[in-house]
This record gives sequence, C-alpha cells and structure tokens, in this order.
Amino acid sequence: MDSHALDAIIARYDVPDGRLLGILSEVQEQEGYIPHDVLVMLSEKLGVRLSRLYSLVTFYSFFSLQPVGEHMITVCMGTACHVKGAEMVLSALGKHLGIETGMAQDGKFAVTTEDNKFTVTIARCFGACSMAPVLSVDGNLYGYATPENLPAILAEFGWREHES
Amino acid sequence: MIYGSAGKDHVPGKPVRVTINGRQYRAEEGETVLSVAIREGIPIPHLCHEESLDPYGACRLCFVEAGKHGKREMVTACTLRVAEGLEVTTDTPTVTKHRAILLELYLAEAPKSEVIKEMAARYGVMKTRFLKKMETDDPLGGKCVLCGLCVRACTEIMGAGAIGFINRGPYTEVNTPFLEPSADCYGCGACVKVCPTHAIVMEDSGSERVMKSWSGTRVPLAQCDCCGRYYAPKELAARTLSALDPQLERELAGLCPSCRGKQIAEREILARQGGAGNHA
Ligand code: SF4
Ligand code: FES
Ligand code: FES
Repeated sequence: MDSHALDAIIARYDVPDGRLLGILSEVQEQEGYIPHDVLVMLSEKLGVRLSRLYSLVTFYSFFSLQPVGEHMITVCMGTACHVKGAEMVLSALGKHLGIETGMAQDGKFAVTTEDNKFTVTIARCFGACSMAPVLSVDGNLYGYATPENLPAILAEFGWREHES
Repeated sequence: MIYGSAGKDHVPGKPVRVTINGRQYRAEEGETVLSVAIREGIPIPHLCHEESLDPYGACRLCFVEAGKHGKREMVTACTLRVAEGLEVTTDTPTVTKHRAILLELYLAEAPKSEVIKEMAARYGVMKTRFLKKMETDDPLGGKCVLCGLCVRACTEIMGAGAIGFINRGPYTEVNTPFLEPSADCYGCGACVKVCPTHAIVMEDSGSERVMKSWSGTRVPLAQCDCCGRYYAPKELAARTLSALDPQLERELAGLCPSCRGKQIAEREILARQGGAGNHA
C-alpha cells in the first residue's frame, strides 16, 4: 500500500470518533494484515503515537500483525463449544495442517501454514452455540465439527491428506 | 511546557468538611477522598494513583465505604470527590475482605513484587490460590500490576507516548510498539518514578541511558562541558533549556546541575566583590 492509497482511506474517516478503528479495519481488509511500515506511516499521517495504534491493533482480535494465509479458519473456543470438544477439534486441525496450535508470538492465537494456504485462529462464541462445536472457514460456518469430519471440510478448500 | 497536564492553574474550591473514620477534616471541593487521606496520613492502599494525573480507578485497592445520611456504598477513594457532609470509613469488614481478594489476585499477577507481598501481608494474605504469572524473560521481572501509571505518565505528563498496553486479557503487558527500541522515548525516567512496584529497569551506561524494560531503548546523554559528567538525556536537556529565557539558556547550556550551581555562585561572589564585569 502506498502513501496515496493510505490518504484515500484516511480521508473517508475524517471524523473525530471511531476514526482509528475504521482506518485500521480497512488496512486489515485490503492487506490481509497490518504491515509494520503501514502502521508507522499511519502514525505519522494521523499524528497519533505508534504506541497507541499498536495497543489497538494488539487488543482487537480482528487485526493481525502477521500476513495471513489464503484461507482463514476460525475455531470457536466459547463456553458451549469448549464443553462440546472444541479443544479436540483444534488440536486435530493442527495435526492435519502440520502446525503448532500454540500461542502466536503477539499473544494472539493465529498460526499460518508454511505454504501460506491456511491461517488458524480462535474466537469466543459465534452465537451459534446450538451447533457447537463450531468453526468457520472464510466466513462459512460449519457446525457439529469433529476431528473426523474435519478432512472433508478442509478438502473443500484445496487441502489434501498427503500434503502434510 | 513539557509538563502539560500537571501544572494546570489551581483554582481553590469551596471549603468543605468530610468525616473519615469518625474524624472531621477540612478539604476543598473537587479534591478526591484519597488525596485528603494521603495529606492527613490516613492509610488507604493504592497502586494507580498519582497526584499529577487525573483520577483513573484501575487498581481498585483504594475501595472505601462512603455516603451521606447513613446510606453507604463501596467506592474507590481516588475517584470519589469530597462533598460537604460526606462520611467515609476506610476499613470496614466488607472493604477488608475485598482488598484481601484483590491482593491475592495481585500476588498472582506480580509474583515477584516485594511491594505487593508486603501490602498483601498487611491483610494477612501470604499466598495466592490463583495461577501465578510466571514468565522467564519478562522485561518487567514479574512485578508489573498493569496499573497503567507508566503509560499515562509517558503520554499525559511527558507527551512522549513511547509505551502502551499491548494485547489484552491475561496476555496484557506494557512495552514499546513491536517490542522494538522506541524513537519516541526521551529517557526521562518518569515511568520509573511513578511505577508503584519498581518494575521498570533503567540504567545509565557511559554516554547512554538504557531503558532495559522498554525493549532496550537507548537514549544519548548530554555531557557537562565543565566536569565531563553525563547528566541528563540530551534531547530532554535541550527541550528544558529552550523553555528558559534565551540569555539564561546560553549561559547554562552544556553544564550539569552541580557545575551550573557552582558557576552561578562564583559569579555571584565576584559580583559582590565588585569584580564581575558583565554581571547584570
Ligand atoms: S510497569 Fe509499573 S507503572 Fe507500568 S503498568 Fe506495570 S506496575 Fe504500573
Ligand atoms: S460457544 Fe461457540 S458458538 Fe457459542
Ligand atoms: S488508587 Fe484508586 S483504584 Fe487505584
């Protein structure tokens, strides 16, 4: 993203309230993450301290500081899903994709596969508890997830068993 | 001015009387109960209060019971403004019970802090049932209680904004953006000064000040032209001097406080003896 593109986004949020989050959301959407240099550029353009922007970006799970993969998988770790075995779904997912589903470095749970195909993150309740455990891939909701039916879901997004 | 919010013009408020633990005290309308208590030597534990900053109410330790006409509720003393006839009790059984639980939580949050251990011990809390935050390479040495004072001093008093809260929930910490050395840090040490648990590590080494807790941020120090001692962060010294009148600035620039004092004294003596040519 160049300086002009950033100007265009800033102009649209030129109101005192909610400006920062709006601008950051659009950067996140356009870039897929919040690049380090863009955050620095934004801080200079808006006259807002980098520490303030960094606080916001690390607070909201919507933002990511690392590039995310082609497909975004969000596993619900809310209460209902947790009770229904979300933990098992998550670790099975990690095994299938060959990633460590531990904590990401920035304190947020987001891990990307080496081939950049999938990023796995967690959420706290999608509001679809009746179908717990729930996960979403690129915004599509999948209920009653189990370690067993995961491969079929992943296959829809180009995952092949032997690849990992 | 560097000290933006701190030196606001003080307009005295209406005098009021408050009762704390059954005794009457004089106070000024607009003052907080905690300020009055501190001035009168009444102990109320607190972690996130700093007189030069606005009330914040983050640590919840300063809870007291307060009210008028017998109606009582638990409120934080640092955010409660005095009013005529206000009655405050600092240590009711309910308050003490809540404080003990808070202190138990703080023991888990900052297991290495002696300040917290001592505070907790005063309420008979010697250990915690909560999961202790144990990080091996914590730049704040397991002592930070996330009171926010350093962040606020850095931003609101100094106007630097070098540090901020990062992440949220149990992963919340205070540090520089991207955990990289900060270009906004003056090395003033305001954060070190306000930290209630002495968590922040700052060290002067040769011509540099190292903010060890803030991702190893390094700030160059100014050297005294006279004795050669490194005495203050360069940029800060320049900023402070530029706030003085230009004549004084020229005369004092480049000197550490003790050499400055000596020079002023010498000139004064010369002037008295009638020997100084240019003493105005
Ligand atoms: S480092 Fe000290 S001043 Fe800063 S938040 Fe932690 S306890 Fe408070
Ligand atoms: S807890 Fe998972 S959808 Fe509500
Ligand atoms: S001093 Fe009142 S809440 Fe911290």
